[in-house]
Parts: sequence; C-alpha cells; structure tokens
Amino acid sequence: MKTLYFSVSVAVALSASGFAANDGSPPSGEGRISEHYKVAKLMGPPGIDSQVGALVALEDGRLAAAFHHGQVAIYEPKESSWKIIAEGLHEPLGILPEKGGSFLVMQRAELTRLRDTDGDGLTDHYETVWDDFGLSGNYHEFAFGPVRGPGGKLYVGLNLASSGDSIRKEIRGEWSPIGLPRQEFYGANWKKVSDKAGRMYSRVLWRGWIMEVDPVSGNATPFASGLRSPDGLGFDSEGNLLVSDNQGDWRGSSELFVVKKDGFYGHPASLVWRKDWDGSEPLNVPISRLDALRTPAAVWFPHNIYANSPTQPVLIPKTPAWGAFGGQVLIGEMNSPRLLRVLMEEVDGVWQGACVNLVDSETLKRGLHRLAFIGDTLYVGRTHLSWAGAEGLVTLRPQGTLPFDPLDIHVTPHGFRIDFTEPLSAAAADPGAWSVEQYTYAYHIAYGSPQMKKESLTPTKVRLSNSNRTAEIELPTLKENFVYDLHLDALRSESGTAPLNARMAYTLRKIPQK
Amino acid sequence: MHRKKSVPLSLLRLALFVFSSTTLAPRSFSEPVLSTKKVSAEPGKPNVTVKMVMRDGLRFDPPRFSAEPGRKLVIELENEDSSHQSHNFLLIRPGKLKKIVESAMALGERGPSQSFVPQSSDILAHSAVLDPEKKSRISVDLPAEPGVYPYVCTMPGHGMVMYGALYSGVILPAIDKDPNIPPTAVQAMLPGGGRRPFIQRMFLPNAGPAAIAVSLPGKQNFCWDAGECRLRYVWSGTGVDPREHWRGNGKDLAKVPTSPWWNAPIEDFPFRFGSPSASVPKVKFLGYRVEAGLPEFHFKVGAIEVFEKVTADDARGVIEFHYKVLRSNEALFYRASDAEGAKWASPAGLFKGGVLELTPAQAAQFSVTLTGPAIH
Repeated sequence: MKTLYFSVSVAVALSASGFAANDGSPPSGEGRISEHYKVAKLMGPPGIDSQVGALVALEDGRLAAAFHHGQVAIYEPKESSWKIIAEGLHEPLGILPEKGGSFLVMQRAELTRLRDTDGDGLTDHYETVWDDFGLSGNYHEFAFGPVRGPGGKLYVGLNLASSGDSIRKEIRGEWSPIGLPRQEFYGANWKKVSDKAGRMYSRVLWRGWIMEVDPVSGNATPFASGLRSPDGLGFDSEGNLLVSDNQGDWRGSSELFVVKKDGFYGHPASLVWRKDWDGSEPLNVPISRLDALRTPAAVWFPHNIYANSPTQPVLIPKTPAWGAFGGQVLIGEMNSPRLLRVLMEEVDGVWQGACVNLVDSETLKRGLHRLAFIGDTLYVGRTHLSWAGAEGLVTLRPQGTLPFDPLDIHVTPHGFRIDFTEPLSAAAADPGAWSVEQYTYAYHIAYGSPQMKKESLTPTKVRLSNSNRTAEIELPTLKENFVYDLHLDALRSESGTAPLNARMAYTLRKIPQK
Repeated sequence: MHRKKSVPLSLLRLALFVFSSTTLAPRSFSEPVLSTKKVSAEPGKPNVTVKMVMRDGLRFDPPRFSAEPGRKLVIELENEDSSHQSHNFLLIRPGKLKKIVESAMALGERGPSQSFVPQSSDILAHSAVLDPEKKSRISVDLPAEPGVYPYVCTMPGHGMVMYGALYSGVILPAIDKDPNIPPTAVQAMLPGGGRRPFIQRMFLPNAGPAAIAVSLPGKQNFCWDAGECRLRYVWSGTGVDPREHWRGNGKDLAKVPTSPWWNAPIEDFPFRFGSPSASVPKVKFLGYRVEAGLPEFHFKVGAIEVFEKVTADDARGVIEFHYKVLRSNEALFYRASDAEGAKWASPAGLFKGGVLELTPAQAAQFSVTLTGPAIH
C-alpha cells in the first residue's frame, strides 16, 4: 500500500544501494551484500517498547527475548507469533533457558529464575537466585549475562557506575571506603568533584567483576576483575569465556577479552574488592603496577573503523549455509550497522586475534545488541537506551554462498597467514597488492586513545599456497601489542571479485617462535 | 555514514527535510523532549524542538507535549512503526480535530494525491506521507492564543485513534485523566498498560535501588523494597509513572504521581524474633510468587522464612498485610506505630506501644491492617 503514495524519501533510500549495473559487472555495496545475506525486519510483540535486552534460542526452535520495559516473550517462528510470559522486570539484559522450562534472567537488581508452576505458560514464580551484589542506584550499573559455562556454572558481568551521575541516598550492600568520600557524592559540588570518583567507579560490591554463580545454590564467587562495561558475554567453540568491553577510561579502543579465573582485565576501579587489595585508591596506582597485574585484551576493535561499542559474542552455527564461517565468533556493534567476525588463536598461552566485518549494511541499522541463531537464521535484537542505536528485531539469513572474504588469520614469526573463502588471483602474490597499518593504543586513565606509533607497511614477501586460498605475508617489522590493520581492497579472487569486507585488524600480543 | 540530503518541498507554510533513516536514535515513550536551540530568527524566543515518533498500534509518541504560545515549533517526525504503516502528521486548531478527520475521510480517492490532507484553514501545519523508517521535519509558528492544539494522522482509518495534544499555554491534566489523548497512548506509557494489579521493578524514589512498584486492584499502590524486604510506602490513585526512567538509560527515577499517605519508618524492620528489643534482623530476599496478579513476597528474616502478601480493601479503607512464618519457635514482636493518622490493628491481638506480640503458633499465619486517612 505504501508504494501508492509519493515518497520524498525514495531517492535517499536507493542512494545507499549499489545494485548491479546492466553491463554485467558484479554488484557492489548493499546489492552485493544482499546476494549473500538477506536481512528482514521482524516485528516484536505488539504494543511494547521493542528495545531488546536479551535474546536466546531455545532447543525447540523458538526464541526467547527480554525487552526494555521488563517483558519476556517467546517467539514461535513457525507462526510468526509472540507470547509474553513474564512482565515487570527491571532492565533485563540476559536470558538463559533451563531444563524443565524455566528461564534465568539477569535484571538490574538480581539474577531471577522465571518459573511457571501451574502450566499455563506464564511465569508465576519470580525466584531470586542471586542478589548478593551492590547497587548504588547509579544508572550505569547494568548487569549482563548470564551465560552458562561448560561446567554448568553461570557467568555474569557487573557494570561499573558512571561519573555521569551520582549514587542514590539508599544503596544496597557494602560501600567501599576507598576513594572519594561518600558525602561528596551527595554534595552540591558533585559535578565539580565527580572526576575524583573516577570516570567509572566501583564503590559497591563486585562492580567491574565477572562473577561465577552456581544456579542451584545461588552462591557466587568472584571470577575475574578489571572490567568496565562488559555488555557481551559468550563462549568460543572451545569453551573459553569471552567478554566484550567498551572504549573509555582505561580502554584505548573497544576490546574482547578471553577471561580466565582470577584474571584482571585492566580497569582498576574493581580492584578495591580484591581480597588481597592493600587499600590503595585505584586512581593513584602507578600504571606499571596495573600493567603487571593485567591481561591485555585478545582483540582490539579499532575505534571508528571496526566497532565503537561491541556487544554479544555468539558462535556461527556449523551449517552448510554458513560454510567455513561455522564455529567462528560473531559479535554485534552498537554504533554502526555492523556485525563482525572475531578470529582468535592462542600463541604460547596468549590469546590474540583479529576482527573483520561479516556485514556492514544500513539495512541492519544500529544498536545490534543481542544475537541468537536458530538454524541458519541469525536473530538480532537492537537497543539504544538513549545512546546510539535503534530498536526492534531483524533476521539475517545466509543465501547459500559465502562472499569472497578473508576466512581466517594466523600470526607467523614474520607476518601473517591469511585464508580466504575463494582462491586469490595470482596478482595477490605481488606485495604491492597489500598494505598494512601498524599502530597501538595507550593504556591510560583518559577516555579512549588515538592510534599511536602508526606506520604504514608493505609486505616484504607474499607467498600463495598451492590452492591460492592462503596467502602468507611477511612484514618488515612485527611488534607485540600492536594492531596490524590489513587493507585487502586491492586483492581479487580468481574470478575477479574484490573481498566483500576488505579490511581486518589483528591484535598482536605474542610473536610465535616458529 | 551520515548522508544528509535536503529535499525542500514547498508545501504551504512548512519546510520539510528528509534525512537518512539512521541517525537519531528514537527515544521510547518520551514525554516531550523539549530542547531549545538558538537558531530562531526572533531574538529571545528560541525555537522549541520536539521529536515525534509514529509507533505501532497507531500511536504518536509522545501523545502530548507542551510548548509556549507564539514560539516557533520544530517537529522532528520519525516513522518507527514496526507494523510497516505509513503515516502523516497534521497540527490543528483547537476543537477542530473531528472536523478535520472527517474531511480527510471524505477525500476518498483524492486522498493519496494530497497526502490525505484536506484543504482547511484549521490546519496549522502538516507533513507529507511518511513511509516506515523515514524522517522529516516540519516547523510552525504557534499562534499567540493559548489552547489545546490536536495533532493527528489522517491516513485512512487512522484518525480516530492516532492523535495527540499540544498544550500551548494550558496546564496539562493528569495523564490518565486527559480527555485530549487516546486511551491507547496512555496504556502504552504505563507499566502493564495501566492494568491492575501489576508488578513492575524499577528505580523508585525514597527507596533502595531494588524497588518494586505494585498497583493493587482498586486504588492503592505501594513500593516494596527488595533490598530491605519490606513495604516502604503506600499511595492512592494512579500507579507509578515510569516514563522518566524508561526514556533512556535509567538515570532518572520513575515518579510516584501522588504523595504517599503512609511511609514506613526509616531503617526499621517490623519483625523481631524472641525479644521486642532484639536488634534489627538481617533479611534476604527470595523472590515472589504471583497469584491472580498479586505478589506474595518471600524472604528470610535471619534464618526464618517469611511470606508477605499485601492486599487492599478500598471499601473498608484498609491495607492488609498477610504473613506466613515458617518453622519458627520464637515469639514474634511486630513493630508498627500509628502515625500521620494511619492506624494499625490485627485480628491476632492488640498493638501495645506500637508492638504486636505473637506466640510462635499465632505467628505462623497472621495479618495486620493499616487504615489510612486517604482511603475512603
């Protein structure tokens, strides 16, 4: 019906697309993307705010979603229908199904089990599983997860508070005396002294921590510290816990961590809750001491290039339609219409790896917050919470053939070995077809970091494998703790196609010996 | 990334700009986001800019807002209707809503060619038809006369439900008593669509951060604090107003629209086991069960499990607390002092000096009632 009406916006709608020209040349831009991935809007439950805080695929092919105003709803794809099964939750940002039909939902104040005890399909028991953590009432104290580890334990991430606001008069739990005195948070001078609280602060229990929660007893143990805004928790195919974090103070660019028990991941605010902490104000601890404590991120998402606010990591399913991407990690992004693949490896015990776009398409819009696969279909739930983003849901389906794209990347003693989804043309053997930017980000209290010590590199040597599917490049230098941002736009496949995503950034932490 | 194209259309008095559909994040259920930008031609009278989102269920969001008479008003329209419907926007002179909707319907097949906008001097400004996910902007010089100026979508079948009200120099009535906005719009802004009973967790004033707002059937509402495991205050009338809290990232608290008629004493807890002078017990929240929409809270007082259900009887004028105490062999001293005209009583016995003493057997299941001045 809408096409009947004249629309002043038609010109704009089409300007984003570069559909196939009539001369037989391959399509580019949105037209090319749509040959490989089909994006479709999915209506949320009618009449409710459609900002999505949580999504999870259920074993029976349905989808569970939690929304900004506190509803949990189940989507039945066969009938395209939603059923609201719970209401009244406070900013739920994670959901997990349990055996027996119950759900675990993380809301601001607690981890809650939603139970239907009378079999009518609606939640009638909101059971508190775990609420033994602090709430200062600061808006930024979001709670993320839970995700379930290989051993059945749950993992939850607790956001730091933001100096963008103060704390409530009434707080829940213990107050850490380390740092700006509490009365200053209530004073008329708050705006002036707020930076002394730390840009992001952890004055109530377990803020900035990843917690391990036993779903049966509700007992929680502190698992790892040093997080800032850990919106995305997930596991790779080997069961490593992945946590994404946002550019900001102590985060030169957005990052993805491989989180291990007792690890410290760089943001010092959470240190006040370490059992062995000496009482030092984290803001005054020398960077050298923090540096010695911390495990750097496995992957940097270079800011304004790849992602400014990465979200939930999920695994691409191993189905024919997803082909060689199956088993890789996919992650969403808030500030640009992008989904990225994350390609990681462990080198001498150190995790590192690369990010590369899967899709960068205006059709996705922004705020790509929560991801879940049902079969081949990726469901994406968007949010904004008044920041950059959007609302509602979309689906993305692979159309059967992967685009010509970088498939995987591994570091070598002198460079990188990059696999592609299709054979490269012979011209790729020319080092001039490759260009690489090398830069790093500062670890400092300031908000974000510019790219530092930036240099452009050209490979000294390029060797193609027999199948031409793999290129090994050697670089004139290779430095640990630098990003290697590879520009692949001059490469062509054997059939003359450019990569759909012609840029990938590898965060090098450890140069292998061989 | 920010492709901004201006496609000026000279449609009557309005200037219309089209943006790419990806820039501004829509805010949900927003009360007017009134920003004043100093771009006005009239010195001292900055423009008023309001974002107006078209949503599913034939709704304008916000369904009402206010702006000073005589100001230049800029309305940033966004069609976010997830049911993929196109909409338009007309701002109309006071009292002329019905007339304009009817004349738009009468356009019949001429409708599409004129954006479903009838010719009328009662239309102050209007947009073109806005397809889903599109934005546009109109501006209008508000008349100097105060009044309630309706706005409406006149797409076929939309006009009867998809409207709102611009209050210009007129005080806004309570949201649930506003005759100038559609009931559907009000419902979309209240927890549970204004349904009673309803339970909604959110940041509430004068409570801890783990608060729960409960609207009981009838008139009463209360704030239950899951951090302290006790009811904090009771108010009559409209339930909690979540809009400030839900608008964005949660920085603003929800509002309690009327003053509570009863507030729990600060930092006290009604239960003392064993002795009336025992210290304040530690509590632990265990969740709640929902029966006929009403919560039964479950918590521990020390090692003792307690269930608490709160009901109201508007006819008798009481709030009733129903307790179950599991496996306690200690006397229970229930502390509740009459205050602010609110009186406590219990079928289980008399309050003496603000304390009700119960034997373990009595405490296993008992109720107390609170009668307040505000219940009639």
